[in-house]
Amino acid sequence: MDVRSQIGMVFHLDKCIGCHTCSIACKNVWTDRPGTEYMWWNNVETKPGTGYPTRWEDQKAFKGGWETDGKSLQLKSTSKARIIPNIFHSPSMPSMDDYYEPWTYRYSDLFTAPEGDDQPTAVPISMVTGEPIAIESGPNFDDDLGGSAVYARNDPNLEALSPDQREQMFAIERLVFFYLPRICNHCLNPACVAACPSGALYKRGEDGIVLVNQQRCRAWRACVAACPYKKVFYNWNTGKSEKCILCYPRLETGQAPACFHSCVGRIRYLGNVLYDADRLTEIAKLPDHELVEAQRSILLDPNDPAVIEGARRNGIHESVIDSARRSPLWKFVKVWKIALPPHIEYRTFPMLFYVPPLLPVMSTNVGGKVKSDLDALFADTEKGRAPMEYMGKLFAAGNEGKLRYALKKQMAVRIARRHLTVGDVTKEEAERALAQADCTWDEADAIYRLTALANFDDRFVIPPSQREMAIEMLEDPHEHRSTAGFGFRDAPTRGA
Amino acid sequence: MLHCRLGAATAVRGTSVALRWAMRTRTSLARIGLVGALAFAAPGLVAEALAQDVAVTEPVSEETLAYFKTNCTSCHTIGGGALAGPDLKDVTKRRTREQLTKYIQDPKAAIDSGDAYWVKLWNDARGVYMPTPPGITPDRIAKILALVDAESALPKSRFAGMTMSDRALTPADVERGRRLFEGADAMKLGAPACIGCHTVEGVGGFGGGRLGPDLTDAFSRLGGRKSVGAWLTSPQSPTMAPVFANAALADDEILSLVAYLQDRSLVAGGRAAGGAGIFEYLAAGVGGLAALLALFDFFWRGRHTSVRRAMVEASRR
Repeated sequence: MDVRSQIGMVFHLDKCIGCHTCSIACKNVWTDRPGTEYMWWNNVETKPGTGYPTRWEDQKAFKGGWETDGKSLQLKSTSKARIIPNIFHSPSMPSMDDYYEPWTYRYSDLFTAPEGDDQPTAVPISMVTGEPIAIESGPNFDDDLGGSAVYARNDPNLEALSPDQREQMFAIERLVFFYLPRICNHCLNPACVAACPSGALYKRGEDGIVLVNQQRCRAWRACVAACPYKKVFYNWNTGKSEKCILCYPRLETGQAPACFHSCVGRIRYLGNVLYDADRLTEIAKLPDHELVEAQRSILLDPNDPAVIEGARRNGIHESVIDSARRSPLWKFVKVWKIALPPHIEYRTFPMLFYVPPLLPVMSTNVGGKVKSDLDALFADTEKGRAPMEYMGKLFAAGNEGKLRYALKKQMAVRIARRHLTVGDVTKEEAERALAQADCTWDEADAIYRLTALANFDDRFVIPPSQREMAIEMLEDPHEHRSTAGFGFRDAPTRGA
Repeated sequence: MLHCRLGAATAVRGTSVALRWAMRTRTSLARIGLVGALAFAAPGLVAEALAQDVAVTEPVSEETLAYFKTNCTSCHTIGGGALAGPDLKDVTKRRTREQLTKYIQDPKAAIDSGDAYWVKLWNDARGVYMPTPPGITPDRIAKILALVDAESALPKSRFAGMTMSDRALTPADVERGRRLFEGADAMKLGAPACIGCHTVEGVGGFGGGRLGPDLTDAFSRLGGRKSVGAWLTSPQSPTMAPVFANAALADDEILSLVAYLQDRSLVAGGRAAGGAGIFEYLAAGVGGLAALLALFDFFWRGRHTSVRRAMVEASRR
C-alpha cells in the first residue's frame, strides 16, 4: 500500500445556476495575460452541448486519454513510435477554430464616431490579428442551448441515445439542459503528464496538483493532445503550455481557489483524500463499467489504522490525515456515493466529482396549457427530463446503476426534508423513500446540511501545505529566512 | 646571416658572393639569410645575378627534382613533345633567363604584356594560362632552369614523357574507368571519385558534380592520352592540387580513366554532356515537394481538422 494524499473536488450540479462567475474569477486572476486570451482554465458548459473546445468529448477526433486491451495501458494520442513522425505536429491537436478566436471591442469607436442618427457601436477586434472580425464562436456560444440545432445536437454523449430518444429530447416542450462547470481534474493517472516528452508536467507529491514547469516546457504540446478534458492550453506568447493550478498559492495560505471562493451557488467542495497509488495501474485496465467502483476502492479510509500507518510511513503529516477525515470529498464520494467522476472511461481517474442534477419534471403541457399540479410532488427519478442513458454516459461510463443510486438518494433526502419542514409527506412515505435509496435519517440530515447549509469551513477543508516544513527538509529555516528575497525567477519566454 | 645581410646591403657584387656562399653551405640558416638578402636587394638585379652566376655552377638538388616532378611534369616534358604546355628541351636557348624568370613568376602578366612569343604559346594552349607555380622564387626558377639545362643535355631525359603504359586500351579498361569515375570502385590510394566534381557524357540522373568542368571533351581538349595521363598524375588546378597532393591516383587507375575519357570523347563527338540544367533541378524540387506533401496528406489522413465549422455548415444544408 502506497498511501498518498490528493486534493479532490466535488461540484454539486443541482446547485449550479450557470452564472460563469467562476470563469470570470479565474480569468481575472490567471489568464488575462498576452497569449492566454482564448484560455478558460475554468469554464461552464451547457449540457447537452458541445462544450469548449467544441466536441472535446469526441475522443475519436481528439484522441485524449488512455486505452487498454486489458493487459497494457496506452495513451491514445501518442506512443514511443508515433512521437517521431508526429514530432512537429500532433495530428489530433485542437485548432483555434475548436476553441474560438478571442476578441475585444474597439471601444474608442464610441467616442470618435461622427454625429449620426444611430447609436455608435464598438467594432469587434480579433485579439489574434488585431483586425475587425465577424464573431463566429465563443467559449460558451451554446450557453442555455443557444444554437441547439447545431451545438446540442452534436453533443458526443447523445451517442448513448436511440434516434427516437434524441428527437424526444429536442422536442420543444421537453428541452432540457443543465450546467457543467469544468476545471482541470488533477487526475490520479494524468495523460498530460504521461505524454510530455520534456518531463515538464508533474503531479505534486504533497497534494497531487498537476502543474506545468514553465522552465522545462519545450512547446511540444503533447499534453494538449493527450488530455481528454482538453484542460491544458498552449500559450502562443510564451511558447509554453499552461493549465489550472488549482490556485495553489491560495491553497498554501489556507484560501479556497478563486473559482471555489467566488461561486455564487456554493456548489463547490474541496478536500483531500488518501489513496493507494499502488493499485492505480491495475484498476486502469478494468472494463469501463467497473471503473467508477474501482476508483472508489482505491480511496482509503483515513480512520483505518493500517491506512494511517501507511500514510505516516510515506511522510504524510498528521494534520493532512486529519484533514482527510473531515474532507467533504470523502463523504460525497465514498460514504454517500452521490458524486460521480466525469467520463471515467478516459481512464485518467479525475479527482473532480459531480453530484448529478435531478432535473425532475415540474410541469406538463396539456392541450396548450401548462399543468403543474402533478400527482406526485417529486417525480420518479427514472422519469427525469434528461434520459438516464445520457447522464450515464457523462458521469458513469455507461454504468447507469451508479447514477440511479446517486439520483435516488438525493431525491430521498428531499422527500425526508419535505416531511420534516412542510409535513405534507407522511413519515412512512419518507422512510420508504430513504430505505429504497439506501439512506438513513442521519445520512439524509448530513447530506442536507452539507448541501444546503454548508459554510466556508465545511465546504473547503484545505489540508495544511506545511510550506515551512517543506523548507525544513531542504535547509535550515533560519538560513532560508535570511537568504530568501524576491528571487531571480524569470517570466516564461520562448526558447530553451 | 649577419654577413649575408651586410653583403646585400652594401653592393650587388657582394650579394652574389654571399649568395654563392649560401648555396654552397646548404644549411637552412644560410638559406634563411638568402631570403633576407633577396628581400633587401633590388629584385631585377638579383635575378640578373642569379641568371649569370648561380645556374651554371649549381648541381641539381633533390628538392628541385621533387619540385619539378610535382609542379611541372603534368604539363611539360623535356624532349618528350608538347603536352598541355610546350616541350621544355633547350628552352634556355630559345628565351633568355631573364625572360623566363619573369614569365614563370607571373605567366598571365607576361602573356598580357603582348610579347609575341608568349602569346603564340598561349594560343597553342587554346587560351589556357599557365598557373603560377606554388612557392616560386627567382632562386627556385634559377635552379629549375639549371635542371632543365642539365636534362636537355642528356640524350634521353628522365622527363621525356610519362611512364604510363602505352598498351592498347580495351573495353575492359573503359568499363573500369567508368566505375572509377562514378565512384562504384574506390581509388586505391584514397583519391575521391571524379563524379563528385565533374560530369561527363553518359552519367545517369542529374549528371555529375558542377564544381569542375564537364570532362566529355577533356581528352581532345588536353591533347590526347599522354597529356591526360600527365595531368592525372599530378593535377595542377588550384582546386584539384590540394585534394590530390596527399591522395594520388595509381598508374593503372590513370590508364583506366584515360580509356574512359577517350571513349566518352568519341561517343559524344565533341559536344558537351549537357545534363540537367537549373530548371530540371527546380522542376525536380517542386515535383518532389508536391509528392512529399501528397504522401504526408495520405499518412496523416486521419488528422484532426476543424470540428465546429464543419458542424455549423452541416446544419445549414
